[in-house]
Order: sequence, then C-alpha cells, then structure tokens
Amino acid sequence: MKITENVQNNVSRIFLDGRFDANTCGEVEQFIRKRIDDGMHYFVLDMENVSFIASAGLRVVLVIAKELRNTSRGDLCIASPQPNVRKVFEISGIDNVLQIHEDVERAAKGFLQ
Amino acid sequence: MNICFWGVRGSIGTALKNSEVELKIEEALRLGVKAGLREDSQVSAFMQELPWYVRQTAGGDTACVEITAGDERLIMDAGSGIRPLGLKLIQDSGGNPIKVAILLSHTHWDHICGIPFFVPGFNPRNTITVYGAHSNLEERLRDQQDSRFFPVPLPSTFKVVQLSGNDHFTVGDVEIETIPLKHPGDSFGYRLTHNGKTVVYATDSEYKDLSTEALKPFVDFFQSADLVIYDAQYTMVENVEKENWGHSNMFTGIDMAIEAGVKRMVFTHHDPVCDDKRLGDFFQKAEEYLRMYAPSGGPLIYLAYEGLGFTL
Repeated sequence: MKITENVQNNVSRIFLDGRFDANTCGEVEQFIRKRIDDGMHYFVLDMENVSFIASAGLRVVLVIAKELRNTSRGDLCIASPQPNVRKVFEISGIDNVLQIHEDVERAAKGFLQ
Repeated sequence: MNICFWGVRGSIGTALKNSEVELKIEEALRLGVKAGLREDSQVSAFMQELPWYVRQTAGGDTACVEITAGDERLIMDAGSGIRPLGLKLIQDSGGNPIKVAILLSHTHWDHICGIPFFVPGFNPRNTITVYGAHSNLEERLRDQQDSRFFPVPLPSTFKVVQLSGNDHFTVGDVEIETIPLKHPGDSFGYRLTHNGKTVVYATDSEYKDLSTEALKPFVDFFQSADLVIYDAQYTMVENVEKENWGHSNMFTGIDMAIEAGVKRMVFTHHDPVCDDKRLGDFFQKAEEYLRMYAPSGGPLIYLAYEGLGFTL
C-alpha cells in the first residue's frame, strides 16, 4: 500500500494506493495513529486508487473514526471511492456512520464548515 | 459426518413474537395477492417461492449443534437447543443406552443452559461425557444446578473431562483439536476430523486485529475445513460499537474463510434483537460481499437456522 499525505487547514488528506485488506490494514492504521499522536484530529481518506477494501480495512476506518469522535472531537471521512469500494461501504452499513464524499476537497470542506 | 443445527441464537433464547408471526402472514398474503393466487393447488409451489424470512424462522434456541461421525455422536455446546435434541435422541434410541460427547466452547449461560433440561442426562444407563477447557468445569456445571437456581442437581451421568485449551484428543475415531478464542471469560474452538472430513466449531470470538499476522492462528485452525461454524452475531458497524463483547461478523468470517480455503461457512449465534427479516438482509449483503471479494469462487456460505443440516 502506498500512503501519501497532504495537510491543509489542519485537515490531513491521506491518499491510499492499493488493496486495503488484512495485508495492508496495519500500515494504514499505524500511519493515521502517528498523525493523531502528532496532533491531527481531522482526516480525509482518499480512496480513488484503492482497488478493493476488505473487512480489515473497514474495521480500521471505523475504529479510528470512533476514537477520534470519542477522544478529540475529531473525525474521519472517505473521499472518491471507486464504485466497488463504495458498494462495500454501502452493504456493510458504514455509509450510515461515516461521511463519503465525491472528492477530497469537498470532504475537507465538510470539516471546515 | 452429519451436522445438524439445534440452536442458533446467541446470548439468550428468543421466541418468535406474535407481532412477528402476524407480519409474516401479512407479507405472505400480500405476495399471494400479487402472484394472483387463486386455488389450493397453487399454495405449495407458492410457499416455496416465498422469501426465507417470510416462510421460516431462524429459531430461538441457543447454541447447540449435533455432529454424527461414524458411531460417535458429538454435541457442540449445550444451549437450550440441546433440550429438543435430547428428546430426539431418546426417541431414536429405541430404549437402548445413549452415548454422547458434549464439547463446550465456554460456560456462559447461552452455551450451558440446556444441560438441566437434557433428559438423557437423567437416565444412569446413558453415557454423557462433557469436555471443556474452562477451569473447574465440573464445579461450574454443578453450580448451575445448585438448589438456589434449579430444583435438581447435576446428575452423576455427566462425566466431565477437563481440557487445557490447546488439546489434541480423540473421541472414538474422531480426531479433535482445540484453540483459545477471543471472548470475555475465554471461549475455545474445536476442529473435528473424521474420515478425511473436517468441521470447525468456532463461536464466541471477537477478532479486533484483522491483520494477516494476528489472524494467522485462527486461519491455520480453519485451514481447508469442509465446514466452519462461525459466530456472526453483529454487523461490521456493531462489532466496533460493541467492542469487547466478544463476537464477530459475517464479513470478517468471509475474509478468514477465503484466506483459509474453507469450503463452507455457516453464520450462527444470531443476535436476539435481530428478527428474521434483518438476518436475511444481513446475509444477503454478506453474499454480495463474497461475490465482490471472490467472484470466481470462495466458500459456500449459509445462514444458520434450526434444522439446517449437512452431510460431508
């Protein structure tokens, strides 16, 4: 999994590239946790280049979002998922608890509002 | 090997409510009107076409699965589902002594509450051996039937075999391995092999770290099994909301089954708050997930209901 980040207005935009599954969930979680330790509270996970998300990836985004909401009043949302990834968010019910946006800028704007 | 589900509910026995029965009848009548049902002769075929949640129910008894392997009869957990199983064993025995092995995942109520109502236990001619890895297992079972909680003490027909949790033993010619699972107060999984066929019973386990390394011991335990009986009490979202409650979900089960090359996986230990329609809906979504994850294969998946059976 290739992970890159761009921070603007205190919102961390994290760009993921690859499959988000049992093999890669650990590195994504570690990356976000490190940024939380650094003081970041708001995250947009850009999934334009995520080809598939498995339950391991779903759990990471759910757990991090829950912790951010409970401990720092922060949040995490999803941007630009491919149709099959969006479908997994829908059938798992995660679209009911996490915001999913068409693109990363709209997602970041959502936090600023 | 023959496998039959007698109790599929988790936490507490859950009877079908009158309101749920009425909703099923109402839905069936609506669908009947829509299908232009006119004559008695059409009814049987129409019934078969009804959605599962309208025609049937998953059932309300708690954890119990019967496994017959050659001459051996093994019972996985002794929730309330063991009560009707006991009556059936008596009926089938023709008056001959009954011999069964009960393998307990753990001693939470939903997994042992059927023991006081297991009628074969009251006939000293029967041989009932209870296996489990929790400390002081016999004391736990006796305590359940302490006079403060139940009028009849645990009969001496029940012989307890204390396991360690990482066992390899046999019951007749059935090879059995155990593994510690992830549950408050501990739970243990069983892998049973007979005549080259393998069934894994792994209920009451919460997998919080879903990385390949963390899941490896469990995936190894499931490896190439013909059937895995898997706890899917919650949805993905509920699993995170109810952290440390000790259960899993269908999506994680599918991932583990694919990784382990499992042939069939049954989702059981249904949440008592989940009616048949919701269960059917969750299962349908799990089927969609499986098709996306493994479009050209993967395990066959099933939603457990009382009476579901397999022959391996």
